Amino acid sequence: MTAVDPVALEPGLDAPDLPPRRSRAWAKLRRNPAAIAGGGIVLFFAVVALLAPVLPVPGPAEADWSAVRAAPSLAHPFGTDDLGRDVLARMVWGAQASLLAGVVSVAIALALGVPLGMLAGYRRGWTDAVISRFTEALLAAPFLILAIAFAAFLGPSLTNAMIAIGLSAMPLFVRLARGQTMAVMTEDYVESARAIGVGHLATVGRYVLPNIVPPLLVQATLTIATAIIAEASLSFLGLGQQPPAPSWGSMLNVAKNYLEVAPWMALWPGIAIFLVVLGFNLLGDGLRDALDPRDL
Amino acid sequence: MSALLEVRDLSIAIAGAARPLVDHVSFDVAAGETLCIVGESGCGKSLTALALMGLLSNPPLRRTGGTARFRDRDLFELPPRELRDLRGGEMAMIFQEPMTSLNPALTVGDQIVEAVRTHRACSAAEARDRALEMLRRVRIPAPEKRLGEHPHALSGGMRQRAMIAMALANDPALLIADEPTTALDVTVQAQVLDLMVTLQRESGAGMMLITHDLGVVAGLADRVAVMYAGRIVETGPVAAIFDDPQHPYTLGLIRSIPALSGERRRLATVPGTVPTAAAMPPGCRFAPRCPFAGPDCRAAPPLAEITPGHRVACHRAPIEEKAA
Repeated sequence: MTAVDPVALEPGLDAPDLPPRRSRAWAKLRRNPAAIAGGGIVLFFAVVALLAPVLPVPGPAEADWSAVRAAPSLAHPFGTDDLGRDVLARMVWGAQASLLAGVVSVAIALALGVPLGMLAGYRRGWTDAVISRFTEALLAAPFLILAIAFAAFLGPSLTNAMIAIGLSAMPLFVRLARGQTMAVMTEDYVESARAIGVGHLATVGRYVLPNIVPPLLVQATLTIATAIIAEASLSFLGLGQQPPAPSWGSMLNVAKNYLEVAPWMALWPGIAIFLVVLGFNLLGDGLRDALDPRDL
Repeated sequence: MSALLEVRDLSIAIAGAARPLVDHVSFDVAAGETLCIVGESGCGKSLTALALMGLLSNPPLRRTGGTARFRDRDLFELPPRELRDLRGGEMAMIFQEPMTSLNPALTVGDQIVEAVRTHRACSAAEARDRALEMLRRVRIPAPEKRLGEHPHALSGGMRQRAMIAMALANDPALLIADEPTTALDVTVQAQVLDLMVTLQRESGAGMMLITHDLGVVAGLADRVAVMYAGRIVETGPVAAIFDDPQHPYTLGLIRSIPALSGERRRLATVPGTVPTAAAMPPGCRFAPRCPFAGPDCRAAPPLAEITPGHRVACHRAPIEEKAA
C-alpha cells in the first residue's frame, strides 16, 4: 500500500508557516512606542481605579475641617478642596467614574450600533434607508449637545450620563458597521459561504462580524476618549456624577470657583482628564496602524 | 437516462439593459459527466453558473427567462429556503479564487464543519470527523494539523483543495467549478484538476466546469459547450469539438492553442474583440470577426444539429474542411 498517489500534494509545496494575523498585529503594536505609552497610561489609571478601595487614601467624602482648601502638603499631597476633602482621594475614586463612563457608554454604543449597522449593510434596501436616515438625524446634532439633551431628559445621574453618551456615540458605530459590512459582503468568502448554503444569521455572525472587528475596535478605543471627556463635561454641568461622589468633571466644576485661591483643585483633575484621553488616543492610533489590513 | 441538470433558454440581463448578457442558453449535464463551458472573459460563463446557484447579485443582475431543472425541480421556482438547502448539499460550487474564498477569521476545519452542519443534523464531533475525512480525501498533508489552521497558513493549492473538500463534504450530485485552477501555478493546476477528476469518478457526480483553458477541456471534458458573447455557438462531444470544429469561433480558439512540438509558427489569433453589449450586431454575434461572414449572417443562425449530439449555430456549417 505504498503506491504513489497520483493526486497527492507534492511535498515541499507547503506555504511557509506565517504567524496568525492576530499575533502579527500584536507584534506591530509592541514596536510602536506611542501606542505602548498610551497603553501604559490607560493601564495605570485602570489599576488606580480598580485599587481605589485598598489604596492608602482617605475616603472621597471624608472632610477635614481643619484643612479647607489647603495647599499640597505631606498630609494631603494634592491639597484639599473647599470642604476639606483630600483631592488625591477624590482623584483616585473619580478615576472609577471616568473610566467606567468611558467603557460602559462605548459598550452601549457598540451593543446598539453594531447590530443596527450590520442589519443595514446586510439587508440594504428600505431597511438600510430607514436605519441610515435615523442615524443621520442623530449625527446632525453635535455629539456633546446630543449627550446633554439625552442626559437632561433622563435626569442627572452617572448611569443616565453613560446611557446618554452611549446613545450619542451610537450613530458612529452604525455608520462604521454598515460600511464595513457592505465591504465584507463583496468578499469572495461571503459568496462561497452562500454557495455552501450558510443561512443569514450564520453568515452575519461567523463570516461578517469577525472580519469587521478590527476597525470597530479602533473606533471603540478612540471613542472611549471622547466619552470620558463627555462624562467630565456632563458632570461639570451637574448632569453626571452627583455629589458627594467624586468625578473629575464635577471636581472641575467646583474648582472653577476657587481658581485664584486653590488652583490645585482644578489642576489635578485637568491633568488626569488630559492624560487618560491622550492615552486612549495614542492606543487607538496604534491599534489602527497595527490592524491596518494593507500590510497584514 | 435523463439529465441531472437541464438548462433551457436561460437569459440573464442587467436591469435596464436592452440586450441580455446571457441569451437563451441551453445545456444538459448528466450524472457522472463533465460538461466544459468554454469561452473568453465576459462571455457569460460565470453568470450562468451563479444563476444556477441562485447567487446572482440582484438587483442589478436578473434572470430574464428560461428554466433549469435539477433532479426534477425547477431551480428558479424554488423557495429561498429550499434553494439554500440545495446549495452546498446536492449542488456545490468551487470558485476561482482560493486565496480570497476562505473566511480569514475561521479555521479551515471550522469552515468545512460549517458546510457539513448546515446540511446534516450531526454532532460537532461527527462533523469534525467528516471534515478530517474530507481533508484526507483531497490529499492535504497532515490533515489533523491543517484542520486547526487559518487559511493564511495554507498555500493557494492547499486552499483550493480545502475549498474542494468543503464543496464535496455533503456528496453533491452536481459540482459547478468556475475556473477552479485559473489562479493557481501551472504545476498545482494539474494536481488540482487530477484531484477533481479522481473525486468525481469516486462519487459519480455530474460536473459543470467553466474554463477558458482548452488544455483543461481536452483533458477533462466529456462534452463541451462553447460560448461567445452570451450565446452557445457550438456544443458536442469533446472529440467532435476538437477533431471537427464547425463554428468559426471554435476553430479560431483551437488554432490559437500553442503547440510544443512541430514547426514553430506564429500563433493564430481571432482578429478583433468581442463587441460591447451596446454595439452587439443583430444576427450572428461573431459575424464582425468571422472570416466566412456573408450577408445571410445578419439573421441569427439556429443551433442546428449537424451530427448526433453536435450542434452549431452557424450558417456556414458544416464547413467543408477537406476542400481547404
